[in-house]
Amino acid sequence: MRVEAIDLTRRFGDHLALDRLSLSIEPGEAFGLLGANGAGKTTFIRMVTGCLLPSDGTVTVDGISPSASPTAVQARLGFVMETSRLYPELRVRSFLRFIGGARGLSGSALATAIDRVIERFQLESTVTRPIGNLSKGFQQRVSLAQAFLHDPPLVIVDEPTGGLDPLQQAEVQEILRGLRGRRTLILCTHDLHEAESLASRVAVLRHGRLVAEGNAKEVLREGETLDLFRSSVGIET
Amino acid sequence: MTALLALIRKEFASLFALPTAYLTLTMVALVTALIFFDHLRIYNQTLFLYATTTMGGFSSDEIPDYINLWDAVFFPVMETLGLTLIGVVPLVTMRVFAEERSRGTDELLVTTGLTPTTIVVGKFIVTLLFVTLMMAVSFVYPATAIERGGLGFQHLAAVFVGLSLYSIALASIGLVCSAFASSQLVAAVSAWAVAFVFWDFAWIHPFVSEGVAGFLDAICLHLRYGSFAEGIVSLENIVYFVGVVLVALAAARFSFDLRRVGA
Repeated sequence: MRVEAIDLTRRFGDHLALDRLSLSIEPGEAFGLLGANGAGKTTFIRMVTGCLLPSDGTVTVDGISPSASPTAVQARLGFVMETSRLYPELRVRSFLRFIGGARGLSGSALATAIDRVIERFQLESTVTRPIGNLSKGFQQRVSLAQAFLHDPPLVIVDEPTGGLDPLQQAEVQEILRGLRGRRTLILCTHDLHEAESLASRVAVLRHGRLVAEGNAKEVLREGETLDLFRSSVGIET
Repeated sequence: MTALLALIRKEFASLFALPTAYLTLTMVALVTALIFFDHLRIYNQTLFLYATTTMGGFSSDEIPDYINLWDAVFFPVMETLGLTLIGVVPLVTMRVFAEERSRGTDELLVTTGLTPTTIVVGKFIVTLLFVTLMMAVSFVYPATAIERGGLGFQHLAAVFVGLSLYSIALASIGLVCSAFASSQLVAAVSAWAVAFVFWDFAWIHPFVSEGVAGFLDAICLHLRYGSFAEGIVSLENIVYFVGVVLVALAAARFSFDLRRVGA
């Protein structure tokens, strides 16, 4: 599934959150969107998912504009938000049943889809527990599971390892590594190593502008880009 | 329809997974009981006063017409219940949208493909059912007064319909406030404020023209609600309450568009 942005711009009052961003993500590609907090990554994602309208420019998913047909785009994508953006009071199976139902799945198709993601994300031991009682690592697995329930051709993952301990980070990264190549994956992160290990191509955003784009290993080893990124996240070079 | 049913099931599960729902139902039952028995106590004391030998004994001729179960218990209970519901209903509605927003699940909801209209309708249906349950809990006492007052089933039904419509209108106001607020506290306080303003405009009559006063009376909750308490079910009042609900739902739906624009 191809995602294309042309001169995509978003303003919030006087603040320019995204400045004429143009990029293209090819079908089946694992694409990393890198940048410090406030660089414009989430703004871009919100426009791709149809949650936010662009101020200028266009974005399309498989040729469909999320601004004009948000539900058509949302039916084709799975969205993994940062941890804790779930319903802590719901049990894992109830939550997955809700998301599947909202996606239009019912009856045996829903039961099969739930069993499939429970197995894939190794949630067997947690299905009857409230989400709020799970560790952050398991909560992120639940978040991933809901995004894959309807087997979407595009998956967007926003800061998948934010707030996780190193062991949980490694687990989630391992899961994401296994998902590459079968569908288009957009990964938003401010973790250089995560982007390098999971994405085949990356774009680096800074203050809403695209400052570098290309092969992950090449871009992230380019001294200038690396310095620019490190300075934007407050790391001394 | 599958999506709507899934949302309704999830809303019920979320609502009853937290103590708020049980506490609200218990609070409504307790407050209604307190209001009812307090008025009943006053009524009994008044009766007892008239029944004393110095007042002429138990002869009914000695008891004025206005000392009756209807005027001494039922109407004051309904009046106080109307005000109590303004306090209670926003406690139920404050979380409906504001909680989703404060914990960041609003975008999860939207990106699952649920349309804003489905979300608003689903959440409204659950709120409506909960408020009706609340009414069933609180209606026991007014029903007792009506039954003992010998007013019959039709009057009872009219009062229940009025009470439910009034509560649903309050819930709709609460939903709109929740849809536009980012915090539950702001949602509750703004719903209280709006509901109190719309409760009764009589205080403003001396300051406005007769035409404006008539218009304000036409949109105030108290007079519409009071008419049901008298056992009158008029189409005009039903249309009024249904209108409040529809305007509120449209406003809540509009809040989704505003968020997409980023306002």
